[in-house]
Amino acid sequence: MSNDFIIKAENLHKLYSLNKQRTFKEFLPALFSGAETKYSFHALNGINFEIKKGESLAILGRNGSGKSTLLKIIAGVTKPSDGKITVNGKVFPLIELGAGFHPELTGKENVYLNGSILGIKEKEMDKLYNQIVSFAELEQFMHEPVKHYSSGMYMRLAFAVAVAKIPNILLVDEILAVGDLRFQKKCLSRIKEFQNQGTTLIIVSHSRKTIEDYCQKGLLINNGNQLYFGEVKKALEKYAQI
Amino acid sequence: MAILYKKFSENLKLFWEFRELLKNLVKREIAQRYKQSILGYAWIILNPLFQLVVMSFVFGVILKVSSLNVPFIIFLSVALLPWNFFATSLSTSSGVLVNSSSLITKIYFPREILVYANMFAKLIDFALSLLILIVFFLIFKIPFTIYFFWFIPILIVQIIFTTGLSLITSAFNLFYRDIQYLLNLILILWMYLTPVMYPVELIPNKYRFIFKFNPMAVIVNAYRQILLGKSEPNLGSLSIALFISIFIFIFGFFIFKKLEGKFADYV
Repeated sequence: MSNDFIIKAENLHKLYSLNKQRTFKEFLPALFSGAETKYSFHALNGINFEIKKGESLAILGRNGSGKSTLLKIIAGVTKPSDGKITVNGKVFPLIELGAGFHPELTGKENVYLNGSILGIKEKEMDKLYNQIVSFAELEQFMHEPVKHYSSGMYMRLAFAVAVAKIPNILLVDEILAVGDLRFQKKCLSRIKEFQNQGTTLIIVSHSRKTIEDYCQKGLLINNGNQLYFGEVKKALEKYAQI
Repeated sequence: MAILYKKFSENLKLFWEFRELLKNLVKREIAQRYKQSILGYAWIILNPLFQLVVMSFVFGVILKVSSLNVPFIIFLSVALLPWNFFATSLSTSSGVLVNSSSLITKIYFPREILVYANMFAKLIDFALSLLILIVFFLIFKIPFTIYFFWFIPILIVQIIFTTGLSLITSAFNLFYRDIQYLLNLILILWMYLTPVMYPVELIPNKYRFIFKFNPMAVIVNAYRQILLGKSEPNLGSLSIALFISIFIFIFGFFIFKKLEGKFADYV
Protein backbone atom coordinates (compact mmCIF):
# COMPACT_ATOMS: atom_id res chain seq x y z
CA MET A 1 0.00 0.00 0.00
CA SER A 2 2.89 2.39 -0.39
CA ASN A 3 2.12 5.53 -2.31
CA ASP A 4 5.23 6.41 -4.21
CA PHE A 5 3.99 9.87 -5.13
CA ILE A 6 3.82 12.71 -2.66
CA ILE A 7 1.78 15.14 -4.69
CA LYS A 8 -0.44 14.31 -7.61
CA ALA A 9 -2.49 16.83 -9.54
CA GLU A 10 -5.09 15.58 -11.97
CA ASN A 11 -6.61 18.01 -14.40
CA LEU A 12 -6.71 20.95 -11.98
CA HIS A 13 -8.92 23.87 -12.85
CA LYS A 14 -9.43 27.00 -10.86
CA LEU A 15 -12.17 29.34 -11.84
CA TYR A 16 -12.48 32.45 -9.75
CA SER A 17 -16.03 33.58 -9.81
CA LEU A 18 -15.95 36.78 -7.89
CA ASN A 19 -18.73 39.10 -6.91
CA LYS A 20 -18.57 42.40 -8.70
CA GLN A 21 -20.16 44.06 -5.71
CA ARG A 22 -18.17 44.01 -2.52
CA THR A 23 -20.97 45.21 -0.30
CA PHE A 24 -24.53 44.20 0.29
CA LYS A 25 -25.59 47.76 -0.44
CA GLU A 26 -24.18 47.47 -3.96
CA PHE A 27 -25.39 43.93 -4.41
CA LEU A 28 -29.09 44.52 -3.75
CA PRO A 29 -29.70 47.16 -6.44
CA ALA A 30 -27.63 45.12 -8.87
CA LEU A 31 -29.82 42.11 -8.20
CA PHE A 32 -33.01 44.01 -8.98
CA SER A 33 -31.73 45.92 -11.96
CA GLY A 34 -30.48 42.70 -13.49
CA ALA A 35 -26.88 43.87 -13.69
CA GLU A 36 -24.17 41.25 -13.68
CA THR A 37 -23.34 40.23 -10.14
CA LYS A 38 -20.38 38.02 -10.92
CA TYR A 39 -17.42 37.81 -13.18
CA SER A 40 -15.23 34.84 -13.65
CA PHE A 41 -11.58 34.33 -14.31
CA HIS A 42 -9.85 31.13 -15.32
CA ALA A 43 -6.68 31.07 -13.23
CA LEU A 44 -5.73 27.45 -13.89
CA ASN A 45 -6.74 25.40 -16.86
CA GLY A 46 -5.99 21.69 -16.69
CA ILE A 47 -2.80 21.17 -14.69
CA ASN A 48 -1.38 17.64 -14.40
CA PHE A 49 1.73 16.55 -12.59
CA GLU A 50 3.05 13.97 -10.20
CA ILE A 51 5.92 14.40 -7.75
CA LYS A 52 7.60 11.35 -6.25
CA LYS A 53 9.10 11.20 -2.82
CA GLY A 54 12.39 13.08 -2.58
CA GLU A 55 11.82 15.00 -5.79
CA SER A 56 11.47 18.74 -5.85
CA LEU A 57 9.45 20.88 -8.20
CA ALA A 58 9.99 24.32 -9.65
CA ILE A 59 6.91 26.15 -10.86
CA LEU A 60 7.81 28.47 -13.70
CA GLY A 61 5.83 31.14 -15.42
CA ARG A 62 5.44 34.85 -15.81
CA ASN A 63 3.69 37.05 -13.32
CA GLY A 64 -0.02 36.35 -13.27
CA SER A 65 0.31 32.94 -14.89
CA GLY A 66 -1.34 31.13 -11.96
CA LYS A 67 1.70 30.05 -9.92
CA SER A 68 0.45 31.43 -6.65
CA THR A 69 -2.98 29.95 -7.19
CA LEU A 70 -1.36 26.57 -7.68
CA LEU A 71 0.63 26.99 -4.46
CA LYS A 72 -2.56 27.89 -2.62
CA ILE A 73 -4.25 24.77 -3.89
CA ILE A 74 -1.32 22.63 -2.77
CA ALA A 75 -1.36 24.33 0.64
CA GLY A 76 -5.05 23.51 0.96
CA VAL A 77 -6.00 27.13 1.36
CA THR A 78 -8.31 27.11 -1.60
CA LYS A 79 -10.07 24.31 -3.41
CA PRO A 80 -9.77 23.58 -7.11
CA SER A 81 -12.96 24.20 -9.08
CA ASP A 82 -12.43 20.98 -10.96
CA GLY A 83 -9.94 18.13 -10.93
CA LYS A 84 -8.24 16.51 -8.03
CA ILE A 85 -5.17 17.12 -5.90
CA THR A 86 -3.72 14.47 -3.63
CA VAL A 87 -1.11 15.50 -1.11
CA ASN A 88 0.56 12.84 1.02
CA GLY A 89 2.11 14.65 3.92
CA LYS A 90 2.07 17.85 5.83
CA VAL A 91 2.58 21.06 3.89
CA PHE A 92 4.57 23.90 5.41
CA PRO A 93 4.17 27.13 3.54
CA LEU A 94 7.02 29.60 3.48
CA ILE A 95 4.83 32.04 1.63
CA GLU A 96 5.12 35.63 2.79
CA LEU A 97 6.71 35.17 6.12
CA GLY A 98 5.27 36.43 9.31
CA ALA A 99 1.65 36.30 8.23
CA GLY A 100 0.69 34.97 11.62
CA PHE A 101 2.68 37.43 13.67
CA HIS A 102 0.95 39.93 15.84
CA PRO A 103 2.81 43.21 16.42
CA GLU A 104 1.72 43.65 20.04
CA LEU A 105 2.95 40.24 21.16
CA THR A 106 6.55 39.50 22.11
CA GLY A 107 8.86 37.47 19.95
CA LYS A 108 8.43 34.46 22.18
CA GLU A 109 4.64 34.65 22.18
CA ASN A 110 4.64 34.98 18.43
CA VAL A 111 6.85 31.93 18.04
CA TYR A 112 4.35 29.82 19.97
CA LEU A 113 1.38 31.34 18.19
CA ASN A 114 2.91 30.86 14.78
CA GLY A 115 3.93 27.33 15.71
CA SER A 116 0.38 26.42 16.62
CA ILE A 117 -0.84 27.82 13.32
CA LEU A 118 1.61 25.48 11.61
CA GLY A 119 0.32 22.65 13.78
CA ILE A 120 3.37 22.30 16.02
CA LYS A 121 2.35 21.12 19.47
CA GLU A 122 3.39 23.18 22.46
CA LYS A 123 5.49 20.42 23.99
CA GLU A 124 7.34 20.03 20.74
CA MET A 125 7.78 23.78 20.55
CA ASP A 126 9.39 23.83 24.00
CA LYS A 127 12.11 21.63 22.56
CA LEU A 128 12.44 23.58 19.32
CA TYR A 129 12.36 27.01 20.92
CA ASN A 130 16.06 27.48 21.71
CA GLN A 131 17.05 26.30 18.29
CA ILE A 132 14.64 28.77 16.68
CA VAL A 133 15.98 31.68 18.69
CA SER A 134 19.57 30.90 17.91
CA PHE A 135 18.83 30.36 14.24
CA ALA A 136 17.16 33.77 14.09
CA GLU A 137 20.02 35.26 16.15
CA LEU A 138 17.57 37.18 18.28
CA GLU A 139 18.48 35.99 21.78
CA GLN A 140 18.25 39.43 23.39
CA PHE A 141 15.01 40.43 21.74
CA MET A 142 12.63 37.57 22.43
CA HIS A 143 10.75 39.43 25.17
CA GLU A 144 10.24 42.55 23.09
CA PRO A 145 7.01 43.09 21.16
CA VAL A 146 7.72 42.37 17.51
CA LYS A 147 6.45 45.81 16.50
CA HIS A 148 9.81 47.08 17.70
CA TYR A 149 11.68 44.68 15.41
CA SER A 150 13.32 45.83 12.22
CA SER A 151 11.91 44.22 9.11
CA GLY A 152 15.00 42.05 8.84
CA MET A 153 14.62 40.74 12.38
CA TYR A 154 10.95 40.09 11.72
CA MET A 155 11.69 38.03 8.65
CA ARG A 156 14.47 36.12 10.35
CA LEU A 157 12.23 35.08 13.21
CA ALA A 158 9.42 34.11 10.88
CA PHE A 159 11.78 32.06 8.76
CA ALA A 160 13.28 30.38 11.80
CA VAL A 161 9.83 29.24 12.97
CA ALA A 162 8.87 28.01 9.54
CA VAL A 163 11.99 25.86 9.24
CA ALA A 164 12.10 24.67 12.85
CA LYS A 165 10.77 21.27 12.00
CA ILE A 166 11.53 19.04 9.05
CA PRO A 167 8.44 19.28 6.88
CA ASN A 168 7.21 16.71 4.37
CA ILE A 169 6.55 19.40 1.83
CA LEU A 170 7.91 22.92 1.90
CA LEU A 171 6.39 25.61 -0.27
CA VAL A 172 8.81 28.39 -1.10
CA ASP A 173 7.48 31.46 -2.84
CA GLU A 174 10.34 33.71 -3.84
CA ILE A 175 11.26 34.55 -0.28
CA LEU A 176 14.88 33.63 -0.21
CA ALA A 177 15.72 37.31 0.09
CA VAL A 178 15.58 37.14 3.86
CA GLY A 179 17.97 39.32 5.83
CA ASP A 180 21.55 39.91 4.77
CA LEU A 181 23.65 37.73 2.50
CA ARG A 182 25.02 35.66 5.34
CA PHE A 183 21.55 34.88 6.64
CA GLN A 184 20.36 34.03 3.14
CA LYS A 185 23.13 31.48 2.85
CA LYS A 186 22.11 30.02 6.17
CA CYS A 187 18.54 29.69 4.97
CA LEU A 188 19.56 28.06 1.74
CA SER A 189 21.77 25.54 3.48
CA ARG A 190 18.93 24.78 5.88
CA ILE A 191 16.64 24.10 2.95
CA LYS A 192 19.29 21.90 1.35
CA GLU A 193 19.57 19.99 4.61
CA PHE A 194 15.82 19.36 4.59
CA GLN A 195 16.01 18.17 1.05
CA ASN A 196 18.72 15.69 1.94
CA GLN A 197 16.47 14.34 4.64
CA GLY A 198 13.67 13.75 2.16
CA THR A 199 11.66 16.96 2.15
CA THR A 200 9.92 17.79 -1.09
CA LEU A 201 10.41 21.39 -2.11
CA ILE A 202 7.99 23.30 -4.26
CA ILE A 203 9.68 26.46 -5.40
CA VAL A 204 8.37 29.47 -7.20
CA SER A 205 11.35 31.53 -8.21
CA HIS A 206 12.72 33.54 -11.08
CA SER A 207 16.29 32.70 -10.19
CA ARG A 208 17.63 30.14 -12.61
CA LYS A 209 20.41 29.19 -10.27
CA THR A 210 18.14 28.44 -7.30
CA ILE A 211 15.94 26.31 -9.49
CA GLU A 212 18.79 24.32 -10.98
CA ASP A 213 20.34 23.79 -7.57
CA TYR A 214 17.24 22.46 -5.90
CA CYS A 215 14.78 21.02 -8.37
CA GLN A 216 14.63 17.96 -10.58
CA LYS A 217 11.22 18.65 -12.03
CA GLY A 218 9.84 21.76 -13.63
CA LEU A 219 6.28 22.81 -14.38
CA LEU A 220 5.80 25.62 -16.84
CA ILE A 221 2.50 27.44 -16.89
CA ASN A 222 1.36 30.39 -18.95
CA ASN A 223 -1.99 32.11 -18.49
CA GLY A 224 -3.19 29.15 -16.50
CA ASN A 225 -2.34 26.62 -19.21
CA GLN A 226 0.24 23.93 -18.67
CA LEU A 227 2.96 24.20 -21.31
CA TYR A 228 5.36 21.62 -20.00
CA PHE A 229 5.99 19.26 -17.14
CA GLY A 230 9.15 17.21 -16.84
CA GLU A 231 12.89 17.61 -16.48
CA VAL A 232 13.81 20.95 -14.97
CA LYS A 233 16.44 21.72 -17.64
CA LYS A 234 13.92 21.33 -20.42
CA ALA A 235 11.37 23.40 -18.52
CA LEU A 236 13.87 26.21 -18.10
CA GLU A 237 14.70 26.12 -21.81
CA LYS A 238 11.05 26.36 -22.75
CA TYR A 239 10.55 29.12 -20.24
CA ALA A 240 13.29 31.14 -21.89
CA GLN A 241 11.46 30.83 -25.23
CA ILE A 242 8.20 32.45 -24.13
CA MET B 1 -28.05 11.91 8.56
CA ALA B 2 -25.15 9.47 8.63
CA ILE B 3 -23.18 11.73 6.31
CA LEU B 4 -23.88 14.70 8.54
CA TYR B 5 -22.66 12.78 11.53
CA LYS B 6 -19.51 11.64 9.75
CA LYS B 7 -18.71 15.17 8.59
CA PHE B 8 -19.32 16.46 12.07
CA SER B 9 -17.04 13.94 13.77
CA GLU B 10 -14.31 14.48 11.17
CA ASN B 11 -14.39 18.18 11.89
CA LEU B 12 -14.39 17.58 15.59
CA LYS B 13 -11.20 15.55 15.24
CA LEU B 14 -9.55 18.25 13.17
CA PHE B 15 -10.63 20.83 15.71
CA TRP B 16 -9.12 18.78 18.53
CA GLU B 17 -5.85 18.64 16.64
CA PHE B 18 -5.77 22.42 16.57
CA ARG B 19 -6.91 23.02 20.15
CA GLU B 20 -3.61 24.68 21.04
CA LEU B 21 -4.14 27.17 18.27
CA LEU B 22 -7.44 28.07 19.90
CA LYS B 23 -5.69 28.58 23.20
CA ASN B 24 -3.00 30.76 21.65
CA LEU B 25 -5.50 32.83 19.71
CA VAL B 26 -7.50 33.52 22.87
CA LYS B 27 -4.27 34.48 24.60
CA ARG B 28 -3.41 36.77 21.73
CA GLU B 29 -6.83 38.39 21.87
CA ILE B 30 -6.47 39.04 25.59
CA ALA B 31 -2.83 40.10 25.64
CA GLN B 32 -3.48 42.50 22.82
CA ARG B 33 -6.15 44.43 24.67
CA TYR B 34 -4.19 44.41 27.88
CA LYS B 35 -1.13 45.78 26.17
CA GLN B 36 -2.77 48.45 24.10
CA SER B 37 -4.50 50.60 26.68
CA ILE B 38 -3.33 51.84 30.05
CA LEU B 39 -6.54 50.88 31.80
CA GLY B 40 -6.63 47.57 29.92
CA TYR B 41 -8.90 45.33 31.83
CA ALA B 42 -10.54 48.12 33.82
CA TRP B 43 -12.61 48.86 30.73
CA ILE B 44 -14.33 45.51 31.06
CA ILE B 45 -15.77 46.76 34.36
CA LEU B 46 -16.02 50.49 33.70
CA ASN B 47 -17.83 50.22 30.41
CA PRO B 48 -20.89 48.31 31.64
CA LEU B 49 -20.82 50.19 34.92
CA PHE B 50 -21.36 53.56 33.23
CA GLN B 51 -23.94 51.97 30.99
CA LEU B 52 -25.79 50.60 34.02
CA VAL B 53 -25.77 53.88 35.91
CA VAL B 54 -27.09 55.94 33.02
CA MET B 55 -29.68 53.41 31.91
CA SER B 56 -30.92 52.93 35.48
CA PHE B 57 -31.37 56.65 35.76
CA VAL B 58 -33.34 56.85 32.52
CA PHE B 59 -35.51 53.75 32.91
CA GLY B 60 -35.69 53.44 36.70
CA VAL B 61 -35.87 57.04 37.83
CA ILE B 62 -37.32 58.97 34.89
CA LEU B 63 -39.55 56.37 33.24
CA LYS B 64 -40.16 54.42 36.46
CA VAL B 65 -40.24 50.97 34.88
CA SER B 66 -41.26 48.36 37.46
CA SER B 67 -38.48 46.05 38.58
CA LEU B 68 -39.62 42.99 40.59
CA ASN B 69 -39.19 44.74 43.95
CA VAL B 70 -35.42 45.08 43.69
CA PRO B 71 -33.42 48.24 42.92
CA PHE B 72 -33.61 48.90 39.19
CA ILE B 73 -29.86 48.78 38.72
CA ILE B 74 -29.80 45.16 39.95
CA PHE B 75 -32.81 44.30 37.87
CA LEU B 76 -31.04 45.76 34.84
CA SER B 77 -27.58 44.32 35.43
CA VAL B 78 -28.65 40.64 35.61
CA ALA B 79 -29.95 41.08 32.07
CA LEU B 80 -27.68 43.70 30.56
CA LEU B 81 -24.38 41.93 31.32
CA PRO B 82 -25.41 38.70 29.55
CA TRP B 83 -26.90 40.78 26.74
CA ASN B 84 -23.60 42.64 26.34
CA PHE B 85 -21.82 39.30 26.14
CA PHE B 86 -24.16 38.27 23.34
CA ALA B 87 -24.00 41.57 21.46
CA THR B 88 -20.23 42.10 21.62
CA SER B 89 -19.38 38.53 20.65
CA LEU B 90 -21.73 38.67 17.69
CA SER B 91 -20.65 42.09 16.45
CA THR B 92 -16.92 41.38 16.81
CA SER B 93 -17.19 37.91 15.30
CA SER B 94 -18.39 39.39 12.03
CA GLY B 95 -14.91 40.85 11.57
CA VAL B 96 -12.68 37.99 12.68
CA LEU B 97 -12.23 36.37 9.29
CA VAL B 98 -11.59 39.66 7.52
CA ASN B 99 -9.06 40.68 10.17
CA SER B 100 -7.15 37.42 9.73
CA SER B 101 -7.10 37.64 5.96
CA SER B 102 -3.31 37.40 5.82
CA LEU B 103 -3.50 34.01 7.53
CA ILE B 104 -6.49 32.74 5.62
CA THR B 105 -4.84 33.22 2.26
CA LYS B 106 -1.66 31.42 3.29
CA ILE B 107 -2.13 28.56 5.66
CA TYR B 108 -4.81 26.00 6.16
CA PHE B 109 -6.30 25.48 9.59
CA PRO B 110 -9.93 25.00 10.53
CA ARG B 111 -11.23 28.54 10.12
CA GLU B 112 -13.98 28.18 12.70
CA ILE B 113 -11.24 28.31 15.32
CA LEU B 114 -11.02 32.05 14.72
CA VAL B 115 -14.70 32.38 15.58
CA TYR B 116 -14.39 30.17 18.65
CA ALA B 117 -11.35 32.11 19.88
CA ASN B 118 -13.32 35.31 19.68
CA MET B 119 -16.17 33.70 21.63
CA PHE B 120 -13.79 32.50 24.34
CA ALA B 121 -12.18 35.91 24.73
CA LYS B 122 -15.60 37.51 25.10
CA LEU B 123 -16.61 34.83 27.57
CA ILE B 124 -13.64 35.76 29.72
CA ASP B 125 -14.68 39.42 29.53
CA PHE B 126 -18.16 38.42 30.57
CA ALA B 127 -16.87 36.44 33.54
CA LEU B 128 -14.90 39.49 34.67
CA SER B 129 -17.86 41.81 34.25
CA LEU B 130 -19.80 39.55 36.60
CA LEU B 131 -17.73 41.10 39.38
CA ILE B 132 -20.09 44.06 39.13
CA LEU B 133 -23.01 41.74 39.75
CA ILE B 134 -21.33 40.14 42.75
CA VAL B 135 -20.64 43.54 44.29
CA PHE B 136 -24.24 44.68 43.69
CA PHE B 137 -25.57 41.48 45.24
CA LEU B 138 -23.48 42.10 48.33
CA ILE B 139 -24.40 45.79 48.59
CA PHE B 140 -28.13 45.20 48.14
CA LYS B 141 -28.07 41.98 50.19
CA ILE B 142 -29.67 39.74 47.58
CA PRO B 143 -29.93 36.31 49.23
CA PHE B 144 -28.12 33.39 47.64
CA THR B 145 -30.48 30.60 46.58
CA ILE B 146 -30.03 27.12 45.19
CA TYR B 147 -31.51 28.38 41.90
CA PHE B 148 -28.29 30.28 41.20
CA PHE B 149 -26.84 27.01 39.89
CA TRP B 150 -29.14 27.26 36.89
CA PHE B 151 -26.79 30.00 35.71
CA ILE B 152 -24.45 27.46 34.09
CA PRO B 153 -26.98 25.62 31.90
CA ILE B 154 -28.55 28.90 30.82
CA LEU B 155 -25.11 30.24 29.93
CA ILE B 156 -24.43 27.12 27.87
CA VAL B 157 -27.62 27.66 25.86
CA GLN B 158 -26.54 31.25 25.29
CA ILE B 159 -23.08 30.20 24.12
CA ILE B 160 -24.46 27.64 21.66
CA PHE B 161 -26.87 30.21 20.27
CA THR B 162 -24.25 32.96 19.97
CA THR B 163 -21.62 30.71 18.42
CA GLY B 164 -24.07 29.45 15.82
CA LEU B 165 -25.04 32.97 14.80
CA SER B 166 -21.39 34.10 14.85
CA LEU B 167 -20.43 31.35 12.40
CA ILE B 168 -23.09 32.58 9.99
CA THR B 169 -22.34 36.29 10.28
CA SER B 170 -18.57 35.89 10.10
CA ALA B 171 -18.82 33.86 6.91
CA PHE B 172 -21.29 36.20 5.23
CA ASN B 173 -19.38 39.30 6.24
CA LEU B 174 -16.49 38.01 4.18
CA PHE B 175 -18.60 38.12 1.04
CA TYR B 176 -20.39 41.37 1.78
CA ARG B 177 -18.44 43.62 4.09
CA ASP B 178 -21.33 45.79 5.14
CA ILE B 179 -23.13 42.93 6.84
CA GLN B 180 -21.46 44.11 10.03
CA TYR B 181 -23.14 47.52 9.85
CA LEU B 182 -26.47 45.88 9.23
CA LEU B 183 -25.73 43.61 12.15
CA ASN B 184 -25.10 46.52 14.51
CA LEU B 185 -28.46 47.99 13.59
CA ILE B 186 -30.16 44.65 14.11
CA LEU B 187 -28.50 44.27 17.50
CA ILE B 188 -29.85 47.61 18.74
CA LEU B 189 -33.39 46.80 17.60
CA TRP B 190 -33.06 43.28 18.99
CA MET B 191 -32.15 44.67 22.40
CA TYR B 192 -35.36 46.69 22.50
CA LEU B 193 -37.34 43.59 21.62
CA THR B 194 -35.68 41.63 24.41
CA PRO B 195 -36.79 42.26 27.98
CA VAL B 196 -33.46 43.72 29.09
CA MET B 197 -34.63 47.13 30.25
CA TYR B 198 -38.16 46.14 31.23
CA PRO B 199 -39.76 43.07 32.83
CA VAL B 200 -41.33 40.54 30.51
CA GLU B 201 -44.55 40.94 32.52
CA LEU B 202 -45.12 44.37 30.96
CA ILE B 203 -45.60 42.83 27.53
CA PRO B 204 -49.30 42.50 26.60
CA ASN B 205 -50.41 38.88 26.48
CA LYS B 206 -51.24 38.83 22.82
CA TYR B 207 -47.61 39.67 21.93
CA ARG B 208 -45.95 37.30 24.37
CA PHE B 209 -45.64 34.53 21.78
CA ILE B 210 -43.01 36.57 19.90
CA PHE B 211 -40.72 36.29 22.88
CA LYS B 212 -41.00 32.53 23.03
CA PHE B 213 -39.21 32.36 19.70
CA ASN B 214 -36.55 34.89 20.61
CA PRO B 215 -33.95 32.77 22.41
CA MET B 216 -32.32 35.88 23.85
CA ALA B 217 -35.58 36.93 25.49
CA VAL B 218 -35.94 33.50 27.03
CA ILE B 219 -32.32 33.47 28.17
CA VAL B 220 -32.37 36.97 29.65
CA ASN B 221 -35.63 36.28 31.41
CA ALA B 222 -34.29 33.00 32.75
CA TYR B 223 -31.26 34.72 34.30
CA ARG B 224 -33.59 37.18 35.97
CA GLN B 225 -35.85 34.45 37.30
CA ILE B 226 -33.11 32.38 38.85
CA LEU B 227 -31.10 35.29 40.26
CA LEU B 228 -33.89 37.59 41.45
CA GLY B 229 -37.17 35.69 41.16
CA LYS B 230 -36.07 32.87 43.46
CA SER B 231 -37.49 30.20 41.19
CA GLU B 232 -36.57 27.80 38.45
CA PRO B 233 -36.52 29.15 34.91
CA ASN B 234 -39.48 28.43 32.68
CA LEU B 235 -38.34 25.01 31.50
CA GLY B 236 -40.72 24.89 28.55
CA SER B 237 -39.38 28.12 27.06
CA LEU B 238 -35.81 27.23 27.89
CA SER B 239 -36.09 23.90 26.05
CA ILE B 240 -37.45 25.69 23.00
CA ALA B 241 -34.51 28.10 23.23
CA LEU B 242 -32.09 25.19 23.54
CA PHE B 243 -33.66 23.49 20.56
CA ILE B 244 -33.48 26.64 18.43
CA SER B 245 -29.88 27.25 19.55
CA ILE B 246 -28.72 23.76 18.61
CA PHE B 247 -30.48 24.04 15.28
CA ILE B 248 -28.82 27.42 14.59
CA PHE B 249 -25.43 26.08 15.60
CA ILE B 250 -25.64 23.03 13.31
CA PHE B 251 -27.02 25.13 10.48
CA GLY B 252 -24.31 27.78 11.02
CA PHE B 253 -21.57 25.18 11.23
CA PHE B 254 -22.46 23.56 7.93
CA ILE B 255 -22.92 26.88 6.14
CA PHE B 256 -19.53 27.94 7.45
CA LYS B 257 -17.89 24.69 6.35
CA LYS B 258 -19.53 24.86 2.96
CA LEU B 259 -18.22 28.36 2.35
CA GLU B 260 -14.81 27.72 3.96
CA GLY B 261 -13.18 26.56 0.74
CA LYS B 262 -14.01 29.91 -0.86
CA PHE B 263 -12.80 32.15 1.98
CA ALA B 264 -9.31 32.54 0.57
CA ASP B 265 -10.70 33.57 -2.82
CA TYR B 266 -12.88 36.32 -1.44
CA VAL B 267 -11.02 37.78 1.48
